[in-house]
Amino acid sequence: MGPGIITANLDNDASGIATYSVAGARFGYSLLWILIPTTVALVVVQEMVARMGVITGKGLSDLIRENYGVRPTFYMMLALLFANFGTTVANFAGWAASMEIFGLSKYIMVPFGAVFIWLLVTRGSYRLLERILLVACLLYLGYIISGVLSKPDWAQVAYNTIVPTLKWDAEYMMLTIAIIGTTITPWMQFYLQSSIAEKGIRKEHYKASRLDVIIGCSITDIIAFFIIVTCATTLFPYGIRVNEAHEAAIALKPLAGQYASGLFAVSLANASILGAIIVPLATAYYVCEAMGWEAGVNKTFKEAPQFMWIYTVLIVFSCVLVLIPGAPLILFMILSSVVNGILLPFVLVFALSLVNNRAIMGEHINPKSYNYISWGTVVVLIALTAVFLVMTVAWKT
Amino acid sequence: MPLFGELFVSELIKKPVLDPSGEELGFVRDFIVVRGEPLPRLSALIIEKKKVQYRLNWEDLSIFNKRIISSSVRAGSLKPYVFSEDDLLISRDILDKQIVDANGAKVVRVNDVKLEGFDGDACLIAVDVGMRGILRRLGIEHRGENLFRIFGKKLSQNLISWNYIQPLEPKLTTISLTVPRQMLSELHPADIAEIISQVSHLEGAALFKGLDPETAAEALHELEPDVQAAIIGRIDKEQASDIIERMPPDEAADVIADLPAEKAKEILELIEKEEAEDIQELLGHEEDTSGGLMTNEYIAYAPGLRVSEAIERFREDAREVETVYYIYIVDVEEKLIGVISLRELLLAPPDAPLSEIMETKLKTVAPESDQRVVAEMLSKYNLLAIPVIDPENFLLGIVTIDDVIDIFLPPAARKKRRRV
Repeated sequence: MGPGIITANLDNDASGIATYSVAGARFGYSLLWILIPTTVALVVVQEMVARMGVITGKGLSDLIRENYGVRPTFYMMLALLFANFGTTVANFAGWAASMEIFGLSKYIMVPFGAVFIWLLVTRGSYRLLERILLVACLLYLGYIISGVLSKPDWAQVAYNTIVPTLKWDAEYMMLTIAIIGTTITPWMQFYLQSSIAEKGIRKEHYKASRLDVIIGCSITDIIAFFIIVTCATTLFPYGIRVNEAHEAAIALKPLAGQYASGLFAVSLANASILGAIIVPLATAYYVCEAMGWEAGVNKTFKEAPQFMWIYTVLIVFSCVLVLIPGAPLILFMILSSVVNGILLPFVLVFALSLVNNRAIMGEHINPKSYNYISWGTVVVLIALTAVFLVMTVAWKT
Repeated sequence: MPLFGELFVSELIKKPVLDPSGEELGFVRDFIVVRGEPLPRLSALIIEKKKVQYRLNWEDLSIFNKRIISSSVRAGSLKPYVFSEDDLLISRDILDKQIVDANGAKVVRVNDVKLEGFDGDACLIAVDVGMRGILRRLGIEHRGENLFRIFGKKLSQNLISWNYIQPLEPKLTTISLTVPRQMLSELHPADIAEIISQVSHLEGAALFKGLDPETAAEALHELEPDVQAAIIGRIDKEQASDIIERMPPDEAADVIADLPAEKAKEILELIEKEEAEDIQELLGHEEDTSGGLMTNEYIAYAPGLRVSEAIERFREDAREVETVYYIYIVDVEEKLIGVISLRELLLAPPDAPLSEIMETKLKTVAPESDQRVVAEMLSKYNLLAIPVIDPENFLLGIVTIDDVIDIFLPPAARKKRRRV
């Protein structure tokens, strides 16, 4: 499996699934069309960072540090640290919620999950992690199965996927933007570029990599598509309003049957734990590489103190925060999506200016036509993100 | 223009530069460095005003310190800076780049550059790779210091002397700097591998080219298969074959197996015939079976040989072979019939034939045995190596304990590189 496909699977984490579930339950099939432009934007953005990874053999944080100096890098890493902390919390919360559906107490399962993640990374092998990733990616099929089990009206689904619907409704707009915001995130760009650089993919094989990115982005949105379809078919007609992914799983039970609900919950648990594994680990790597600190899972606290502390603090704090009864989790996740939203334009602008720098990319800079599309995408994303930020703050407070 | 004392580059960047009448010429943008004895020195400042860059030669400065920089040249007579590929600029080419810290055997980033006055010149004396440098760049060195003091810790200086630094490859788009080659070669190959795995493959290959083939061969073995393939793919085939030739055949086969078929063929063609045949033979086996793990370098003698003769021959043969703890006894058809440990050989009466002292209750594995089975056998019978034989008892090779130990070790102790 290529880095593009893995990244794409990781992208459908707990907050993504929550957004898609809510979108389906609230507005039925009418938001499906948004997935097509989102996929296009995702492909454009990810193709750029993948290309940078292949040509330079370096991660995005390395390139930003080397070309823009320590100051912007430092603040960007600080923001990334905070945003990814929020993402980790969201994933632990998703894990807790999915375990509770199966009647398992979160006070046992969350610490268990945290210890599992810790051991997996510090004691397990990459091969084990890779196998887990592979199984996890297959488990995403659960969403497709539960989508089919829910017996949607396929003609209507097809119609709504192709024909855009616009509703002048604050909540509708907010969900439209949230779908885009949860699909194209800052950390994914860092993750994808460094895993490509890591693989040492060469220029000659770039075509295969591009295909990998395109397939990956499509898979992300196919999963999203089925989540929306499931919730739209079973929950929307009954006017059941859900706010989070696990509520969707519970609500599906009487309507779509035990299996659809169970599959939905298992898939959520799977997505959450995957996110909770990768996000803190990746964060610790990017921050340390950008700052020139020693990094690596095979290092001790003494050898790589910053790396180990960032990694540990992210996991422990997220785990504790999720366990505090009545902790303002929702507020925290909003804050982190705000930071993500603010960070994304910076990441994209840096990425675009790097990819167009001939000194770095040589002849592989963006072609003109491509630049129009990518700048267009970036401008639209920035505008939508700005609107999203305003809405998030206004709507939730 | 003499410079007294020491300065950090970050304290000078963006500083205004004044002309003799106190008018602002612009702000410091970068510094041009030229080779000098004993250390490189500043030859000119690049200053910028209204988006135009000018060159101000070192000789034209009248005051140069962290409080004030002034020149004896007036604004109108400044020459614009003409960009040149060959110029080495501190801010553009050195700051924030990766360098190899051979002392700690790791890759670090240049956070700052330290200058010192020497014979009327400003020389580059060291690069700052520590926390202090980062804080200074962020403009919060003192606050950071105070914060550390609260926790009862001191912010230490972490400088690498310029004596130890030289550009890795001048034509790379972003120059990485490294310690002189000979210092790098003195590192343990496992440390070199670790360093190579932390830089981009392009730079990794550049670093690799500078190593002598012997060290390169050992370092290559320590790398993950992906990285091995990426590095070998980037160096020319002559050098690649030179390195692979120096590896034990089983390790060489592992590397070759991960290369694209075309490249593998090219390299095999350049390798000495006998060695290439050994590698070819090993390539035929599955990776995680004893056939894939085994090496076909071992010591085997005829049963009729006397102990004293065997010891004599052993002295010659052992030079070429990695694992020498067992002497295998094969008959004329090369079928395995016994084994003698080195210890037994040395303790045996000199005129006894090998057939008399050899152990005939043999522990062997088949080439398709799983690596776990092999590991269990080695552990159960306390062996350092185990022979691999085919159904007709032909000795195909041996699996040594260091090739299977990885399966049982916790991953932290294994050679491995980050791959998330």
